[in-house]
Amino acid sequence: MNKIQINRWKDQLFKIWGIACTLIGLILLVVFIGDILIDGIMRIDWGFITDLPSRKAEKSGIYTALMGSIWILGLTTIIAFPVGVAAAVYLEEYAEKGRFSALLEINISNLAGVPSIIYGLLGLEVFVRILHLGASVLAGSLTLSLLILPIIIVATRESMKAVPSTIRDASYALGASKWQTIWNQILPASSGGILTGVILSLSRAVGETAPLIVVGALAYVPFAPSNPLEEFSVLPIQIFNWISRPQHGFIENAAAAIIILLLVTFMMNGVAVYYRNKWQKKWK
Amino acid sequence: MAKEMEVSIEKDIIMSSDNIVKKESLKGQDAKISVKNTKVWYGDFQAIKGISMDIKPNSVTAFIGPSGCGKSTFLRLFNRMNDYVDGFSMEGKIKINGANIYKKKVHVEELRKEVGMVFQKPNPFPKSIYENVAYGLKIQGISDKKLIDSRVEKALKQADLWEEVKNDLKKSALALSGGQQQRLCIARTLAVEPSIILMDEPTSALDPISTAKIEDLIFELKEKYTIIIVTHNMQQASRISDYTAFFYLGELVEYNKTKTIFTKPEKKRTENYITGRFG
Amino acid sequence: MENANYQKELLNQAGLDMMSLCISQLGKATEAYLNNDADLAEEVIYTESHVNALDISIEKNCERYLALYTPVATDLRFVMAILKINIDLERIGDHAYGISKYVVDDETPTPAHLIKALQFEKMHATIQDMFDDIVDAFENENVKSARKVFKKDKILDTINREAFAIIEAEINKDMSVIGKSLQLSSIIKKFERVGDLIKNIAEEIIFYKKAELLKHKGKKK
Repeated sequence: MNKIQINRWKDQLFKIWGIACTLIGLILLVVFIGDILIDGIMRIDWGFITDLPSRKAEKSGIYTALMGSIWILGLTTIIAFPVGVAAAVYLEEYAEKGRFSALLEINISNLAGVPSIIYGLLGLEVFVRILHLGASVLAGSLTLSLLILPIIIVATRESMKAVPSTIRDASYALGASKWQTIWNQILPASSGGILTGVILSLSRAVGETAPLIVVGALAYVPFAPSNPLEEFSVLPIQIFNWISRPQHGFIENAAAAIIILLLVTFMMNGVAVYYRNKWQKKWK
Repeated sequence: MAKEMEVSIEKDIIMSSDNIVKKESLKGQDAKISVKNTKVWYGDFQAIKGISMDIKPNSVTAFIGPSGCGKSTFLRLFNRMNDYVDGFSMEGKIKINGANIYKKKVHVEELRKEVGMVFQKPNPFPKSIYENVAYGLKIQGISDKKLIDSRVEKALKQADLWEEVKNDLKKSALALSGGQQQRLCIARTLAVEPSIILMDEPTSALDPISTAKIEDLIFELKEKYTIIIVTHNMQQASRISDYTAFFYLGELVEYNKTKTIFTKPEKKRTENYITGRFG
Repeated sequence: MENANYQKELLNQAGLDMMSLCISQLGKATEAYLNNDADLAEEVIYTESHVNALDISIEKNCERYLALYTPVATDLRFVMAILKINIDLERIGDHAYGISKYVVDDETPTPAHLIKALQFEKMHATIQDMFDDIVDAFENENVKSARKVFKKDKILDTINREAFAIIEAEINKDMSVIGKSLQLSSIIKKFERVGDLIKNIAEEIIFYKKAELLKHKGKKK
């Protein structure tokens, strides 16, 4: 075989290897989802969603956990999104470049990798005890906000960096101030990346269990929270709780709850991707 | 007889009988931009080594010279875009309309309403055509929609783009061709109604037809505006400018009427450059 | 591009102006000689400085056009043609000046029989004819008109060749006409040269329009 044929072979080989790797991931995902669906799809009905948890598996529903998750999600978004974006804008545009800001940058990146339970401990001490918020939705949201803040900051900074400097130049040359340039040009242009970062981090938050347990989310909550200062539970905790019970009925419940959780996650991501594409097309 | 020829004849009759050669002075109280002994450093590197010159109003002045000679840096002194470059520092006086623009109390945003800039690669905002042209007005706080509409139309007409885009101003600016995008950038600058327009190699990224359109546009604009254009293309400088300044290694080698620079330049270095004998 | 076109238009107009000026100079000078009109001759002499100024101006503007607009193809040939045509026209102007000087310096009228014998008026008419052709060729970029002058120039050549013998004969008949004969002989030579200059102009116009170089194509007979 001559050189050209050898190269063609290598090309084919690499292509097959790539397809195989992709398929492995997809197949595993399909198997997992399939398994869950088999276990839990029968259990899902309107009653499942609206019932409060009870000792009887057939009567247990995810209502309170679902509401708790929604509350946590909403509040975390409200807290983390503006703070994260503002911090990123400050660090990217206003902070003086020097040793200190370089140090800050490294630390923020590191924070994204800190195990979530540590955030739980931090939240417990600062929000629950020192600030006397108790094991409330607010405390949980604040804790999760801290958790996802570094991710939002990094994603925002990267998106802002990707905006070509020529846009900045054009804006300044027309007499815009720094703030006008950021608000009118840089942020809109980087909105796609920022949104992606926010939604990915919220997806993670929706599935967090450990820090919320530490903060004090309860496994058995008979009511949905009606204000941020009340106690709460979330879907992952409910699932965890059910799985630890021996009755078979609860395993079914857990599977069903997992399906709901996956649905919520997929829906969120789908909405995010939809809006991100729509936004990007607008700017394109 | 054509008016321009008439003038030449009068001058020539004077010249042949009196043999007096009048050297026209380029200084004067009517200078639009006045530069006095200006030097620029980026950190330790001195980019501009002491230049003085006056730019006349309602004219096109071309800055020519090899890469790295400082002409872009010098251009950007007039709207203070160098302020954003790390390590920039300058000495000397630069007066526009008689006022020194590097005084502490000068607001850079005000300066840029008077001195607009068009860049080498067309850089429209990723927004609609209308939003692009209206941006300069909106950041000044103008909110009267009728006023903005009329200013947008006027600017697009001045930039010879109105006819091509008037039916769909909401279209994205990025859907336009390169030449159209550059004219949009010019319209965007004109909407703010500056009196000076700086152009940094505005046609080097465009095809010959778009280039010709923009050169015609510059020729029209000079009636109302003072235009300074940095260009690598000497034929462009000779075609459209009234005055030409030749820069080399941070110094102003020669500055004169374009027709003089291209027919009998005073310095050998200038002649070498424009005949293509070096860089 | 608009500006370059405008400048080319100005050059074209200047060329036309120079042409009509020089043609009128020659016409007036000839008339002044035929009618022994010293005043008309003075006018031609006075206007000569105008011709010179226009000549210099056109040359300068051609240089400027070449330097500033770097013309190619038709535009380049146009400037080259204008430059050369300008030189030829200036020489025609010179000849007109010379003829006028004769009128002013020597106030005695020329004998009519000499004028008739030498076919002076026929030469004058032919030259006017050739001028009409060349103006049409230049103004309307009409190559056909330009080509007409080559044949007409032969008339001038013939008359010029025969002139020597005729003048010799006339002088032998009457010695007193020596002065005027010599003058006439000189003017006829000038006319013959004007004919050649007009041919040059025609060649230059053809070069401009057709990119054909006609000169040195041989005077094969």
